Amino acid sequence: MNYALLSVFMMLVTIVPRILPGFLLDKIKLGPKAIKFLNLIPFTAMSALIFPGILFINERWWIGALGALIAILLSLIKKIPTAVVVVASVLALMGIYAVV
Amino acid sequence: MSKARDYLNGIKVALPVILGYLPVAIAFAVMASDAGFTRLEIILMSTLVFAGASQIMAIGMIVTGASMLSVVVGTFVLNLRHFIMGSYIMKKLGKTSALEKITTAHGITDEAFAIVSATPEQKCTVPYLFGIITVTYGSWVLGTTIGAFVSLLIPPVVSDALGIALYALFISLLVPGVKKSWRLIALVAFTALLNTALTLLLPDNASSWAIIISCLVGAIVGVFFIKDEEVAAE
Repeated sequence: MNYALLSVFMMLVTIVPRILPGFLLDKIKLGPKAIKFLNLIPFTAMSALIFPGILFINERWWIGALGALIAILLSLIKKIPTAVVVVASVLALMGIYAVV
Repeated sequence: MSKARDYLNGIKVALPVILGYLPVAIAFAVMASDAGFTRLEIILMSTLVFAGASQIMAIGMIVTGASMLSVVVGTFVLNLRHFIMGSYIMKKLGKTSALEKITTAHGITDEAFAIVSATPEQKCTVPYLFGIITVTYGSWVLGTTIGAFVSLLIPPVVSDALGIALYALFISLLVPGVKKSWRLIALVAFTALLNTALTLLLPDNASSWAIIISCLVGAIVGVFFIKDEEVAAE
């Protein structure tokens, strides 16, 4: 298989869904229900991106579950910025891997 | 707000992504190298495609002897979700020129979407999005390049732990937006359970459909279940 050619084809099929929305949205006028639907997409898409994927970061699913719990608890504290949540979660996981 | 300041804000807000991207990019480079890709081919794929999950899927398929057509079709299906995310990002940006639509399109990723969705609408400008893309694209290509050259120098305990980084980022962007409304919390939990069920029930190669289906079904349920004022709140 020609890997350079494969990359070009993969780019083409990936760029189409990336480029279409900007042009389609100019053509159609969205109703209130459609706008509400789009506003809900971030919540549902992020949820689907996190679960169950996070449970598969290790063969032992509870390690991911524990990591999720740590990240959720840290995120609930208002003053902690995103970067700190990420770094603290990684450090916590290193601690867990060191113990188990 | 000036364009330069918006751009720098975008860079700043995207910096945590580097931590999540580097290990994934390095992991991809190691897999591709094992599958017989040259360094140049590895870097070329990351530069052209810039969609981590589909690149890793492609290597997995190639190793098991898949045809080019099936890899390309799989990539298309897996990356269809960017259509929904792109729609959301473009709506939030407001009016954009054709050139801006085309130049930002390559940078529509899960991470850019996650950051934009956690940003108040008045802060979301094209330069801001360019700032995010500079960091995400830059760290993806850089991480792949590093991986292509020094794949075996990172201790496993570090690379294993870094596997949580992107998820922790998504969680930290999602939680503040939902915590004030029990209905949003319920909707997010419903979507997570639906996606978990679909992922376990559908065959392995259909898990990208699971994400698309759960995301759409969740939002449709939400249109009726969530009160209007709960979504409008920024």
